[in-house]
Amino acid sequence: MAADALTLRRRHARPRVRLMPQLTGWGFVGPATLVIVGLSIFPAVWALILSLRDDNLLAPGSFVGLQNYRDLLDDPDLRAATLHTLLYSVLYVPGSLVIGLPIALALNRPIRFRAFYRTCLFVPYVVSAAATGILANFILDPQFGIVNDLLAGAGVARQGFLQDPSQALLTLVVVSLWGSVGLPIVVYLAALQDIPRELLEAARVDGAGAVRVFRAVTLPQLRPATVFLVIWQTIDALQLFDLVYTTTKGQPLDSTTVIVFYLYQQAFQLFHAGYGAAVAYALFVVTLIVSGAALWHARRGEAPS
Amino acid sequence: MIRKLAIVLAIVPALGFATACGGQSDDEGGKVKVVWWHGQTEAEGQILKDLADEYNKTHPGVEVDPEVGTTNVDEMLQKVQAALAGGEPPDVAYMYGSWSSTLAATPKVVDLSSMVKDPSFGWDDFWPAAREAATVDGKVIGVPSVVDNLGLIYNKKLFDAAGLPYPTKDWTWDDFRAAAKRLTDPGKGVFGTSYVVTGDEDTVWRFWPMLWQQGGSILGSDGKTAAFASPQAAQSLDLWRAMAVEDKSVYLDQNGEKFLPLFYSGKVGMEMAGPWAMRDLADHQVDYGVVPLPGYGGNHQTISGPDNWVVFDNGSKRAQAAKDFLAWLTKPEQDARWSLGSGNLPIRQATSKLPAYEKFAEQFTGADAFLANQENAVQARPAIEGYPDISAAVGDAIDKALLGQATAQQALSDAAAEADKILAKG
Repeated sequence: MAADALTLRRRHARPRVRLMPQLTGWGFVGPATLVIVGLSIFPAVWALILSLRDDNLLAPGSFVGLQNYRDLLDDPDLRAATLHTLLYSVLYVPGSLVIGLPIALALNRPIRFRAFYRTCLFVPYVVSAAATGILANFILDPQFGIVNDLLAGAGVARQGFLQDPSQALLTLVVVSLWGSVGLPIVVYLAALQDIPRELLEAARVDGAGAVRVFRAVTLPQLRPATVFLVIWQTIDALQLFDLVYTTTKGQPLDSTTVIVFYLYQQAFQLFHAGYGAAVAYALFVVTLIVSGAALWHARRGEAPS
Repeated sequence: MIRKLAIVLAIVPALGFATACGGQSDDEGGKVKVVWWHGQTEAEGQILKDLADEYNKTHPGVEVDPEVGTTNVDEMLQKVQAALAGGEPPDVAYMYGSWSSTLAATPKVVDLSSMVKDPSFGWDDFWPAAREAATVDGKVIGVPSVVDNLGLIYNKKLFDAAGLPYPTKDWTWDDFRAAAKRLTDPGKGVFGTSYVVTGDEDTVWRFWPMLWQQGGSILGSDGKTAAFASPQAAQSLDLWRAMAVEDKSVYLDQNGEKFLPLFYSGKVGMEMAGPWAMRDLADHQVDYGVVPLPGYGGNHQTISGPDNWVVFDNGSKRAQAAKDFLAWLTKPEQDARWSLGSGNLPIRQATSKLPAYEKFAEQFTGADAFLANQENAVQARPAIEGYPDISAAVGDAIDKALLGQATAQQALSDAAAEADKILAKG
């Protein structure tokens, strides 16, 4: 009995003592929680419900269960959009790393006007994708663009670029790389400056040449940065939308219709909002799996060392 | 990165959330409020604001509140979708005619049948194609806000330079092709004409007149099957294919934003365009003329893409106030200020009898030709819910043919098969 009474009293006593610190804690966390719940979780749940409905957001729709998800599997246009997205990602993600790393290495050396070069390379990243797209439209116009004028001057045949079904997606990759290579450069630069000087010096003292130092010391030290960049750039690539919207609108012949642009078309131009939400959710799951796999792979690679 | 994902997932609800936060009350100081999303900016927006101010002055019980809604009318339906999800739609919004069937299925859209049936409204005075486009299964989903039609505008200087006679109202499509070929000059970067290959409705509606001119129709008489893949239609599409692929006389405009500016700067000889171009043509001081579209066998039918003012239900009081306002707005005197003031054709015939119209016709070359061309706009696109999907299939077909990736007949037949599937789904 006595013990019971004791625990009872304790139970009563505890909240009173902890109330203030708890309130303070919630005071700090509250606003952010509200923002996350209101702007992320609430819409995400709403979209999940929408993906189970045949709905255009105008007329009252109906609950269709998993029908939208079944339709995903048998949609040749979505399959084509997925292929375009994959092709884009496969070119864009390694491309941005392969271009970004040497530039970061160069900018990490004591050269003249280094800060100026760094700024120049980062500016395109700061420019919005919309501006990049409009600019690309101008200079790559097959008939009136400056790039074709230069090519013609150099004796090369005029190209269709964004208006040629076989070139459009590749052109988009190039434009994206131009616009976003600033990120890998900055991330690699920061990582390069974090490599302990002693490691590099020790390697040189041991007689390693420049190439050997790069392969045996620099690259492994850059691993966390590389993992981060691969995940980040992959998510970026899978969600490509703004550049397509401002340049090709998925044309010519749907050759640049990527997944997010396709779901936008379905939801807002063809009035299949439920189906669009289902595509969004499928993409979300795929992105989650891809990021998870990349992280897992990275951790496994770290384990032995 | 989670936040970025959430943004993509949340395009729709976030918009709804945002608009839901900006509440609108029914009464403001005892006045009935009418929120009006007109989608017009600059000078056009100012005209509408002035009209609203005047209405508010003369109608003390009502407060018409003109708002842009969106600066790009392409996104108006998207905005209203979000506003509906948030439960606060505008009372009146500017909507494209191609959305009519979707709007008709929206319960919140107010049926205006009783309003237009009132003799004082003068519904018969509106253009037949515009009336048809606003009516879906007997439900009147809106009243015309802008009417237009496609005609052929041509650059006189380029015709003079090529030593060609100007197009006439009796032109055939073969005349059109021959002239386009003669006008084309790759050295100077000049094209005979252009075609919009966005693959959406902007691509598709330019094609339907050629089908109609030969007695064809988009759907079969039962409305259950596609009828646009006829040999005549294929021949028409093949004409464009040959012009684009063989003659190379067609500038293919991928985003639909370049073909008119190119015409203004003298790089394209002829364009299928509507009266909406007249203002810019005047600003750029282009020496141009307007004729109806070329035809088949003397048939010069065109297409009209009328846009509408659509009323959304925010309670009967506000709906009634919105209707009263629209009845006033579409009276010839107000129409003259809005339509003619913004460089558009009058939405009703009575407006064209006013002195303001004479001034308008003097100010804008081709206004009379476009007005006369309204007579050639006799058919409307089918007002069915599947039309956007069918349009997307036809848009792909036209693009394929113009880019030389398929024969015209093959492309159209594929699109028709897809359309049949869409129609079967209902």
